Amino acid sequence: MPEVLVVDDSKVMRDMVVACLRPYPGLTFTHASSGLEAIERLSLQPYDLLVLDLNMPDIGGIEVVEFVRGQDRLKNLPIIIVTTRGDEASRARALAVGANRFMTKPFTPDAILSEARGLLEEKRG
Amino acid sequence: MTGSSVDLADFLPAYLAEAEELLGAAHRHLLAVETSVRRGLAHPRAVRELFRALHTIKGLSAMVDVEPIVAIAHWMETSLRHADRAGGRLPEPSVEPLMEGLREIEQRVRQLAAGKQAAPVPAGLLERLEALESIVLGTAPAQKPAPAVLELDAAIAARLSAAEKEQLTTGAAAGRRAVRLDFVPSAERAAAGVTINSVRDRVAKLAETVKVLPLSGPAAGGGSLTFVLLLLTDATDAALLEAAGGEPASMRALTGAAPEPAQAVPAAPEPEPALLEEEPEEQRRGAGTLRVEVSRLDEALERLAALVVNRSRLTRAVAALTAAGAPTRELTAILQENGRQLRDMRAAIIRLRMVRVGDVLERLPLLVRGLRRSTGKAVRLELDVGDAELDKAVADRLLPALVHLVRNAVDHALESPDERRAAGKPEEGVVRLACHAGASGLLDISVADDGRGVDARAVAARAGGPVPQTPDALLEVLCRPGFSTRDAATATSGRGMGMDIVRRIIVDQLGGELALETRPGAGTTFRLRVPLTITLVDAFVFECAGLRYAVAVGSVDELIDVDPARLVRPAGASGVVLVERRGSAVPLLSLESLLELERRDGQEGRGTKALIVRQRGEPVAFAVDRLVCQQEIVLRPLEDPLVRVSGVAGATDLGDGQPTLVLDLAALGLARGGGRRPAEPGRGRERAT
Repeated sequence: MPEVLVVDDSKVMRDMVVACLRPYPGLTFTHASSGLEAIERLSLQPYDLLVLDLNMPDIGGIEVVEFVRGQDRLKNLPIIIVTTRGDEASRARALAVGANRFMTKPFTPDAILSEARGLLEEKRG
Repeated sequence: MTGSSVDLADFLPAYLAEAEELLGAAHRHLLAVETSVRRGLAHPRAVRELFRALHTIKGLSAMVDVEPIVAIAHWMETSLRHADRAGGRLPEPSVEPLMEGLREIEQRVRQLAAGKQAAPVPAGLLERLEALESIVLGTAPAQKPAPAVLELDAAIAARLSAAEKEQLTTGAAAGRRAVRLDFVPSAERAAAGVTINSVRDRVAKLAETVKVLPLSGPAAGGGSLTFVLLLLTDATDAALLEAAGGEPASMRALTGAAPEPAQAVPAAPEPEPALLEEEPEEQRRGAGTLRVEVSRLDEALERLAALVVNRSRLTRAVAALTAAGAPTRELTAILQENGRQLRDMRAAIIRLRMVRVGDVLERLPLLVRGLRRSTGKAVRLELDVGDAELDKAVADRLLPALVHLVRNAVDHALESPDERRAAGKPEEGVVRLACHAGASGLLDISVADDGRGVDARAVAARAGGPVPQTPDALLEVLCRPGFSTRDAATATSGRGMGMDIVRRIIVDQLGGELALETRPGAGTTFRLRVPLTITLVDAFVFECAGLRYAVAVGSVDELIDVDPARLVRPAGASGVVLVERRGSAVPLLSLESLLELERRDGQEGRGTKALIVRQRGEPVAFAVDRLVCQQEIVLRPLEDPLVRVSGVAGATDLGDGQPTLVLDLAALGLARGGGRRPAEPGRGRERAT
C-alpha cells in the first residue's frame, strides 16, 4: 500500500490533493498541516510519495526538501511541489534542492494524478 | 489510462468556509499592522501572516477557478512581499487600499456563497494595489540597532534571516529572554500526543516563537531529529520544558545578559489591544477542529427529540406492564439509565453548537475603525472576552445588538477630541466590551464608554415627559420605539438610537436582561445578561379568538380544513363534535373553549382550520381560526412556577415585541380533560360516521 504524505497548511487544499490522487488504486494518505509536522512524520515513518506546498508557517517547502535530501534514508523519496508561486525562480530553486516535480496552482486533477503515477511507478522500478 | 472523475467545483463550500476564516485572520493582521504603522513601528510578523493568508486565498481561488479573487489577492500579496523584505514596514497610505482589497474579496466570497457569480474586479482597484508596490519599495529599509549579541551555533545562525535575528536581539534588549528550546520527537511521544505541532502550540502560550528549525545528523549532536525553537519569553525554563514534554527536551539562553524572569519587567513593549494580540495560527485555524453546518447539528437535535418522544412511550408502556403486575424492576432501571443517557447526549450536542465569543466579535475592531474614520473621533476598542463560549443561535442574535451598542457609543456617547480635551479627558475615547460566564447558564456582557453620559433631562425633554429618576426609568424611555431617531446625533442625549431594537433582542427574543448605568461626564455602561443557549423550534403560528399562538411543527400530524357543514355530533355524547379526516372521524376540540377565551366580537369561533395532534396515540383535532405562518421561533420556557401551566410549552417573541404562548396541544387537551371524553365515543367513530 503506497503511503502518501500531503503537506499544506490549507485543509481544503489537502483534501483537494487527496481527491485528485484517489483514483490511483491502493494509496493511503496522511495529512500534515505544517512543514515541521511533515519533517516529524518523515523522520518517524517511511512514505512513498511527498506532496508539498511551498509557502507555510515556520519553515517552508524548500526547507522540507532540503531536510529530506539531507537524510540518507529519504534520498529517493519522490517529491511533488504544489504551489501558487509559479515564477521561474521558485521552480528552479525547488528543482535544484531536489524536488522531482513542480506544479503550479491551479492544476487539473488529471495533471497531478499522472505525475504521481509516473513517480510511483518509476520508484517501484 | 483512466481519467479522474474529480470535479474541484465540489470543493466550493469547503473553499468558502476556509476563505472566510482566512479573511478573518487577514483583517486581524491588517488591523495589527495599521496599529503599528500609526505608531511608526514595523510589525514583521503580522505582515508575514497577512501575506500568507492572501497567498493561500489566491491558491485556493485558483483551484476553484474564481479569477477576480485570484487577481485581487495577487496584487495585495505582491506589495506585502516587498513590505516583508523591508522588515515588516508598511507605509501608512498602503493600509487603505489593502482594506479595500480585503473588502472586495469578502464581497465576492459572499456572492459565491449566495450561489451567484463573483463580480469582476472593480475598476481602478488593481491599479491602486499595483501602485502600492512602488510606495512600499520606497520605504527606507529598517534601521538596525544591534544592542544584544546572540550566542548561536554557526549552523543555526546561518539559517536565520536578518529580520529574525533582529527580532531576537531587539526582544532581548526590551528585557525578554531570548532562549533556545530543543525538542526531540519520537514515535512514543507522538503516540502520547506530544508532537512538534502540540509543543509549538503550548510554547506559543508562554513565548513568542521567532523561528523553529529542524536539525539532524552532526548538527543535532549526532543524534536523531531535533527541533530547535528560538523564543522570546518571560516564562521560566521549567515551564517551557514542561510545554515541550520534559526530558529529553533541553534549554539554553541565547544571551548572556538577560536573567531569569525578573520580578519587574522593565520597558516591556506596549501591549496590543486584546483582539489584535497574536495567537498562533494553527491554534486559531484549529488543528483537530471541524467545521460543521449548523443545520446538521439541528438535525441531530431533532433526531434526538424523536428518541425522547419514543422514550416517553416506552415509559408509559412499562408503567402499564407494572400496573398489570409484571416483573419490571430491571426494565425500569434500564429506562432510568436511558433517560440519563439521553440528557447527556442532548447536552453534548448543545456543546457542539457553542462558539467562542471572541470569534463572534472578530469584526468589531473593523467596525470601530470605520467609525473612527467616519466620525473623526479618536477611539480605542478594548475587548475582554476571554474564552467565553455561546450557543451559535444566541451569538447570531446577540451580535447585531452589540454592534448597535458599540456604534451608539462611538457615534453619540463619545465626545469629539476637542470637547474631551476641554473636559480634561484623554483625547482618545475608550469603548470597552467585556464578558464572562455569570450565574449558571448565563453570560454577562458589558459595553462601557468613557463618554459624556446620558443626560436624563435632555432625554425627558425629547420624550416629552417627566425626568426619569432611576436608571431603569431612564432606560425605559431610551428603549421606547422610535425614541430620538431623528437628531440623536446631536450632543444632547448621548444615546438612544435604536435602543428599542437592542431591548427587543436581549429581553424579548433571548429572554435576557438589560440594564444601564450612567454618570454625566464620566460615561455609560450597558449591562447585558443572556442565556448561553436557546431552543429553536420550527412552529406553526395561528390565530384563535383574535390572539396568536404557536405550536411546534413536529407535534402536529396534519393541518386540515374544517367544513362546518360536515361536522358530526353523535347522539348521547353531549358536546362532542367529530370532524372527518380521510374517511375516519376525529374528535374536534375547540381551542377557544379549552383556553377559556372570550370573543370580543361575541361571535362563535368559525374554526375553519384544525391542527391534528396525537394524544395518547389517538388523533385529536384542535379548531383554530386561521393559520398565520410557519417560522422558526426561540422557545423560552416559562420559569415562574406560578405561570407554568400544563399545555403551555413556553413563550416566544414573533418580532412584534409581544409575548406569544407556545402551546403543547396534546398536554393541553389532556390537562383540560378534553382528551378523555371524546376518546370514548371516538372508539366507535367508524360507526358514528
